[in-house]
Amino acid sequence: MANPSAVCNGHLHYHQKQNNLLKSGISKKNGITKGIKKNGVSNGSLSKKAFIEHFEQAPMYVAVLTFVGFGVGTIFGYLRDFMRAWGLEKRNIATEREQQKDFVPLYQDFENFYTRNLYMRIRDNWNRPICSVPGPQFDLMERVTDDYNWTFRFTGRTIKNVINMGSYNYLGFAETDANALKTVAKELQKYGTGICSTRQEMGTLDKHVELEKLVARFLGVEDAMVFGMGFATNSMNIPALVGKGCLILSDELNHTSLVLGARLSGATIRIFKHNNIQSLENLLKDAIIYGQPRSRRAWRKIIILVEGIYSMEGSIVRLPEIVSLKRKYKAYLYLDEAHSIGAVGATGRGVVEYFGMNPDDVDVLMGTFTKSFGAAGGYIAGKKDLVDFLRTHSHSAVYATSMCPPVAEQIIRAMKCLMGLDGTTQGLQRVQKLGKNTRYFRRRLHEMGFIVYGNDDSPVVPLLLFMPGKIGAFARRMLEKSIGVVVVGFPATPITESRARFCVSAAHTREMLDTVLNALDELGDFLHLKYSRYSKSAHPELYEESRFELED
Amino acid sequence: SLQEKEELIEEWQPEPLVPPVSKDHPALNYNIVSGPPTHKITVNGKECINFASFNFLGLLDNEKVKNAAQASLKKYGVGTCGPRGFYGTFDVHLELEERLAKFMRTEEAIIYSYGFATIASAIPAYSKRGDIVFVDEAACFAIQKGLQASRSNIKLFKHNDMVHLEQLLKEQEAEDQKNPRKARVTRRFIVVEGLYMNAGDICPLPELIKLKYKYKVRIFLEESLSFGVLGEHGRGITEHFGINVSVIFL
Repeated sequence: MANPSAVCNGHLHYHQKQNNLLKSGISKKNGITKGIKKNGVSNGSLSKKAFIEHFEQAPMYVAVLTFVGFGVGTIFGYLRDFMRAWGLEKRNIATEREQQKDFVPLYQDFENFYTRNLYMRIRDNWNRPICSVPGPQFDLMERVTDDYNWTFRFTGRTIKNVINMGSYNYLGFAETDANALKTVAKELQKYGTGICSTRQEMGTLDKHVELEKLVARFLGVEDAMVFGMGFATNSMNIPALVGKGCLILSDELNHTSLVLGARLSGATIRIFKHNNIQSLENLLKDAIIYGQPRSRRAWRKIIILVEGIYSMEGSIVRLPEIVSLKRKYKAYLYLDEAHSIGAVGATGRGVVEYFGMNPDDVDVLMGTFTKSFGAAGGYIAGKKDLVDFLRTHSHSAVYATSMCPPVAEQIIRAMKCLMGLDGTTQGLQRVQKLGKNTRYFRRRLHEMGFIVYGNDDSPVVPLLLFMPGKIGAFARRMLEKSIGVVVVGFPATPITESRARFCVSAAHTREMLDTVLNALDELGDFLHLKYSRYSKSAHPELYEESRFELED
Repeated sequence: SLQEKEELIEEWQPEPLVPPVSKDHPALNYNIVSGPPTHKITVNGKECINFASFNFLGLLDNEKVKNAAQASLKKYGVGTCGPRGFYGTFDVHLELEERLAKFMRTEEAIIYSYGFATIASAIPAYSKRGDIVFVDEAACFAIQKGLQASRSNIKLFKHNDMVHLEQLLKEQEAEDQKNPRKARVTRRFIVVEGLYMNAGDICPLPELIKLKYKYKVRIFLEESLSFGVLGEHGRGITEHFGINVSVIFL
């Protein structure tokens, strides 16, 4: 109890003891231990961390109705094409000039069937222009269409303070706070806006050298190299690392930049099922035993391409198992942390830290600065030999311009903030806030009964919509309630699994998340989106009160 | 058998991930530039006159540009945090596209965030497997990558050699006569640059236009170096030769 001599602190002591009692009391209960550990620093062993991922299947009637929906859309599409061919309806698609009428047509009629008939109907949900910083709230420009989405017209009004659940603003660095951007403004004044030359010619500024050293320090590796664009980092460096006679094993759901890089390299590509270690092991065994397909020679190199967080699923890669496989079969691992750098891990260092592993286990660490750091560009980090090789042989170093100085400065400031080098704990606070927001958001969505894919700790939250008709309705109604969401359908996702994807950010406050969740609740009832068969009780706080107290 | 399989797995040794690079490779020891790269540039501590950057109009140091950039920094922050499709389109993007279209006197324009990726993405968007592309030999690396990604049939012609190009087009036409059904669906393109990065000379556009109408091919014109440089107002090679820009496909 409180020391009677320390009267002024007496109340405080008592309060603390009470809290401690509560904490130790809870740890004795089963199952709640994990809740405490999740908030703290990772302990380094996988067994203590619960790897919970959900990929619930929808009930059968949903799949049937989805196909029926697409079937109806296709029938109407044929009907409209017929009417257009006979001149009964206007042709709004781009047409050739008079002199070029007898050239081979650019667009085959059937290739664009999907675009013309299905995509055009709900086209107003994409490419929405905004006119403010893409922070937790932004201003949308209002646009109306007179002819069913073929052309748009701006009314000139803006919709203010729309809650932003679509931008990749995980740590909230997309801000216009003049104090925070002081150094960026200074660099802009000093260096100007561009570089105008490639890396190997006059393109390396002292800023780049500083940035590379900082990135290497942040990740805990020997050296790093930065590039001007995240997409281009993948598509130009994979061809430099592998060539003909090598084997690439890539995940089913890898991003287009990885697929493009793999295709451009000329190596053989084999695909394993998403996050399925068994399938990967089978492929590795077959590859080593049987060698190249026709000549039966041994492969020169085997490289495994995975991503940290998959942007359409929200699932996290199973890194420990893949690393153990890699060691056993002597393959190389290329990890693309576009979404996970800064977003997962106790101090924001990505999936390597999330699983408590050594960054030396991964051969090539790649990431982008667009998402968590609020800038543009990409990096590749690893051992010094690797980075030296890339400096000389990467296509981007020789032919493409380097990153511009103000952007480099923004990354430097964001990274220093994250690492705590600028003297505040703001970076760590942001990471922890993101973690709290993610877990709260996902938990509430599960309770409400939506089907949500992905790992419990990933800030990318896909909510399944399934039916094509609901895609348009969902996005438009959320906009009416002043919430901006992103919906995705075919071809970015499988045809039956269209979804709405939320990106939780550290800049979102509890009130904003509550607003969004209430709107989702209403809309879910209205559109019948609550497909989940495993919905938890709607009032868990009646018996899990302690969880709420500990989280704050 | 299982035993043999285990042995094979253990014996196999891959190549090292990267071949070792000699320590004194010229690209490893960068020329570090400190300070802004304008017409005078400070390399490795020494001040030199800059003949190496692509700063043709000298706009890197312009005060107006810098002030506009500062204003946009205050309003929009640094990054866009999203692709064009998902709330990454700003009103400034749209304004820039409109202005570009008006300046170049075309119907519409589209902008990309990375120069290299522009032509490397535009070519595979139109030219698919089975189409035919005639390319100059001295085309820059970005065009080569775009062609490789598009998987079309590529036919190279000698640099700025219109005779050779005509020869290739004639051969193609002869083949078309043999198989008219296929010819009706394969698209044909010519990819040229306004100002060649590798060779430094200009392409002969008027002759290309004549070939275009005679053999029915579409022209991709890549003007990354000639934009702002050639022509009276800086509209590029079409203004330089006095040709109507709607003749060019892209």
